[in-house]
Parts: sequence; C-alpha cells; structure tokens
Amino acid sequence: MKISSKVKEQTRIRLLESAVDVITEKGFDKASMREIAKRADVADATIYNYFSTKEKLLYGYCEYVQQQVMRELKALDDFHEYSLREQLHQLVEMELRMWLPAREFLQIVFAQTYAAPNLGHELLADTKSLLTMMVVDLIDASIEAGEMPEQPYQDLLPVLFWDYQSAILAYWLKDTSDNFANTTQLVDQSTEIIAQLLLGGVIGKTLDMFSFLFRTHVLQHMNSLDAFLQQPELMSAKRRFMQGES
Amino acid sequence: MSKLPSSQLARASVVGSTAVKVGVGKLKTKAKRPFLSEQANESELDKQHDKEAELLFKAITQLRGTAVKMAQMLGMETDLLPEKVRIELSKSYYQVPPLNRVLVKKVIQQEFGEPPENLYKQFDLTAMAAASLGQVHRAELDDGQVAAVKVQYPGIHVSIESDVKLMRKLSGNAIRFLPNHRKPKKEIVDTTINEIAARLMEETDYELEARNTSWFKQHLVYDGVEVPHVYDELCSKRVITTQMLKGRHIDDWLATNPSQQHRDKAAQLIYDCFVHCAVELGRVHADPNPGNYLFKDNGELALIDFGCVKQLGKRFTDHLPALLYAFYLSDFQKIVEAYSNIGMSFSEKVESNYQSVLQPFGEWLSKPVREEYFDFKVHNDYTSSGLQLMKSVAEMPTVETVEKDFIFFDRTMYGLFKIFERLEAKVYMRAKWETLW
Repeated sequence: MKISSKVKEQTRIRLLESAVDVITEKGFDKASMREIAKRADVADATIYNYFSTKEKLLYGYCEYVQQQVMRELKALDDFHEYSLREQLHQLVEMELRMWLPAREFLQIVFAQTYAAPNLGHELLADTKSLLTMMVVDLIDASIEAGEMPEQPYQDLLPVLFWDYQSAILAYWLKDTSDNFANTTQLVDQSTEIIAQLLLGGVIGKTLDMFSFLFRTHVLQHMNSLDAFLQQPELMSAKRRFMQGES
Repeated sequence: MSKLPSSQLARASVVGSTAVKVGVGKLKTKAKRPFLSEQANESELDKQHDKEAELLFKAITQLRGTAVKMAQMLGMETDLLPEKVRIELSKSYYQVPPLNRVLVKKVIQQEFGEPPENLYKQFDLTAMAAASLGQVHRAELDDGQVAAVKVQYPGIHVSIESDVKLMRKLSGNAIRFLPNHRKPKKEIVDTTINEIAARLMEETDYELEARNTSWFKQHLVYDGVEVPHVYDELCSKRVITTQMLKGRHIDDWLATNPSQQHRDKAAQLIYDCFVHCAVELGRVHADPNPGNYLFKDNGELALIDFGCVKQLGKRFTDHLPALLYAFYLSDFQKIVEAYSNIGMSFSEKVESNYQSVLQPFGEWLSKPVREEYFDFKVHNDYTSSGLQLMKSVAEMPTVETVEKDFIFFDRTMYGLFKIFERLEAKVYMRAKWETLW
C-alpha cells in the first residue's frame, strides 16, 4: 500500500517531536533511534526511511522550526504593512517564540554543533537557506517599496543575518532574566541598528567614501609616480642604461 | 527608535558618563568664577545649567521608563536639581520613544496568551500617548466601548533596582557639587529616594494600579470629576485596560483658549478633589504630573493614571489642618506641637531656625488661605518664590525625623500649584480648610 505524502509528512513531524523529547530527557549521546521511533509509534526500521542518523533528526528539527516561523509570519495579516525594522524584529521574535517549547533542546543543538562544526554546517544548510530566503524577500520588498536604497553586497547581507540570529539564540539560552526580558531588549535594540544601517544605506555610503578616497588620493599618487618616472633626466638615464651606456 | 539600555553596566556607563560630564562642567564654571562679574557669573551658571539639563535629559531618555519617572519625581523635589533641569525634565512627560508594533503584540501575547486581535474588537497598534513606564493604545471592546490600554515596556521591572541604585549614585554626585550652604541633609535625601523607590516599584505593578483605579472609581464620588472604569479581565501585571475618558491634556486644552471661568473651575476641582481625597479618603493621587488630568471643554475633569497612589496615615490627615492653622497664626508653639503630632521631630535648638526658616516658610504656605481666594494669575511666582523656602526647611539642621507622608503631600501640593499657575486660575482655598480648623 502506498502511503500518501500527507501521512508521510505527519510521521516525519511526529518523529522530530519525539526526538526533541527523548534527546532533551536523555541527552544526545544516550538517546537511541529505537526509543525515538517507539515514542513516535513508528517501527524500528521505518525511522531510517525518514532519518538515517540521529544528527539528521537533530538538525531536521531546526529546519522544521524555520518552516514554522515562515508559516506563522505568513499568517500575520498585517505583516506586509510593517516597516523593514518591524519585519526583522518580528522575524527574530517569531524565531524565539517557535523555539521556546524546545529551548533545552536548542541548548543541545548548540553544544553538538560546537563539538562537530563541519557536520553541523552541512546539515544546517537547508535551515540556513530557508532563513536567508526570508531575509532576501524582506530586503527585496523593502527596496521595491522604495523604503531603502539598493545595497551593495546584497547577497552577503542575509547570510550575515543568519550569524546574527544565531548570536541572539545563544544569548537567549544564557538569559536568566524574568520572561527573558533582557533578550527582548537586545533584539529591540539590535534590529533597530540593523534597520538603520540598511535604511540609511550606510554600507553603500561607506564604500562610496572609500572609493572617493581611493580615486582622489591613491590614484593621484600614482600620477605623481608617473610624473617622477617621466622626469627628463631620469628618462635619459634610463635610455642610456637600456642602450648599454654608462 | 526604542533603545533601552538594560544591563546595569550599560546604564552605569550612560549615567556615569553624564555625571562625569556634569561634574567636569561644574568644575569649569567654578574655575571661571573669579574672573567674571557677578552678573556674567549668573548667566554663565545659567548656561551651565542649560548644558547640564541637556546632558541629563539625554541620559535619562536613554534609560527611559524608571529613570524618567525617578527623575520626574526628583525634579519635583525642592533642591536636587536646578530649575533648568526641571524644565527639561518636564518635557519628558510625553516624549519617551515608543514601543513598536512587534513589541506591543509580544507583551500582550505574553500577558494573556493571545494576540490583541483576539482580545479586543479593534486594537490600534500605534500608541496614542506615552506614559513614563509604558504607552497607551486605543482599543475597542466587544461591546463597542472605547478603552485605553496601557502597555508596559518589557523588562522595566527587571532593571528597576539597578536604576534606583544608579539614581542614588547620581543624586550623591549632584549633592557633592552643590555649594555647602545649599547641601541638603544626606538622610533626608536618602529617605526621599527610598520613598520614591518604593512607589516606583509599585508603579510597575499594573495590577495594583488597576486595584487603585477601581478603589477611586468606587470611593471618589465628586461632582465634575470622572474616574475610569477598569476592565479587570483585560488587566495583568504589565497591561491595564480602562474606559477611555474624554478630555484633553493640559497643553492641548490651553491651546483651545478655555475661558477664565472654565480655567477657574478646573483648578478649583483639582484642589477640592485633592483636599477631599487627602482629608476624607486618606488616599491621594500622588503623582503631580499634569498628564494625569484630562480637561473637558466645560472645565470638568477626568483623573487618569493611578500608578502613584499614596495612602496617608490617619495621624497625618488628622493633624494637617492644625499645622496649616498654626502657620496661619504664626504661632511658634502651635507649629512645633502640630509638627510633633504629625510625627516630625526637631532638636531643642529648633527655635533658632524659627525666624529665619520656619516663619517665612509658614507665611508663604499660609498665604493662599489668608484671603478668600488666591489668584495664580496675579501671584504667578508663587511656587518659584516658595522653592527657596521649601529648600531651607528641608535643609534645616534641627530636623530629626521626617514624616514620609510629608514628602508626597508637599510634592503633590507643589505640583498642583504649578498646574494652577499654568491655568492662571483663581482658586478658593480658605473655605475648604476653615471648616477643618
């Protein structure tokens, strides 16, 4: 009997959720594929059709969270009316909200990624591209709406946002303030800065300034070097040298 | 823009650098002083105060919330901050930067487990007014009632204690730079700050504010004064929903050129209502921020924002009229007696302060009740002329214990008189007290 893709997806999610439970309870090393399968009501062997390793379960959940973030943002009626700064702020807040039920699990994800960065990097690629895609969307929409100028290195910015997002999550994991009030404030302030940088076209202006300095000063120095090289005495000395005269 | 330095370190650097700048600035005027004529010296000092005001204001808006409140309160105190600083601070009533839509939604979601659109028929995500610990949003309830929803800045309660510590430090520095003869007693400053800090903690608790508002709604039945209804089911520690009352803030109201009659009526209501609350109910709305009053076209009032409510002791309210009467009679024995009945004690040498401090203070204090009514348009320097006197009482070396109720009573009175000056109103005060003498 062929299993419909919908059922398949449900099983996948069930497996991810029981992985979160088991790994959070037992720790990554002690959690077994068998127990995760059992908890999800899936046959021992079937789990491998979905996830070949425990690591894939670990990072699979990250991707799942990212998908939920996207779904929730799309469900916000007025999201498209937000300013870029509010959209970025909402994105980060949504990320935190979606991670909240699995905060201890996220701790393990961080520890595991720190222990095996290459594998983590590889297995997080899909999650990362999902986030990147969202940020690209936000930035494109903002440029289209005339809210912010075109940005140089536009492709690089969303990738930086991934690093920023990871830093926020790491801070949040260490935050002991009531209701994570400190993280709330950090996000509020940092998204403000990011939005200001983007909206004010600071990156472009900085590059413009360097290019101005380069053109007017560095290139001018090159001219003076030319002039030096083309001094009559030097030129004749050079000619004599080339002609083998002393 | 909404940046709110949160860690104590961040705050320390904000306040610290300001204190240092103010300090250095002070030294500079000091150093300059000998070379200036007295008049030039004055204006140099004025300029200095301007700069200090600007710096302090910058630092304080950065700290937002608690610090703004704290500074407002300190600003109302007699001597801790110079006049220019006070003016600058009074600007901050409505000027704190707002929370954006994301944060507003977050706070509501966090408090009630549901987004605003599920709780209110309509919720305006753009704030209609800033409050010092939060901001106010307009909303519509399912039954069509228009409500005011006050949302607190997230995290303000977390950092409140470090704020208080910093304000202590800052006020300590401020005192150090005051010339010796104007230095207030340290214990008095400490009592003041402790009392303010306690109120401040209470003020972050919107549940308490909701209870206070309901209390006043129930007990303050006063013709021409309205208190909003509280929607308890939409209140929590960080969010409070009340009925939206009609009326304008003082500046907007004055801009409509209200008639003298209406201005007098509003001022009279504020005064009578305050005395009624103090003497009859034993509880006062102890935040003299003019933003707590809404003025209606016909001169009637709405009282809003019961974040700072002070319960006055019976001893205080019982003997207060006698004190005022003693001052009115300029009777030294009766003054000391009334003071000690209230709970203030003096050392034996207090008589030496009578002629120079207590008597002029009493004359000033009882001036409005010497006549049938007091016209703040004529006496528009009443509060400023009393400032020095209030200062000298606070600095009286023979004061041994300060009754805490005085701090709030004085501050509120002073705040009310400031409002009356702005209204240029005529207020009948004597009749109110005569019945109590």
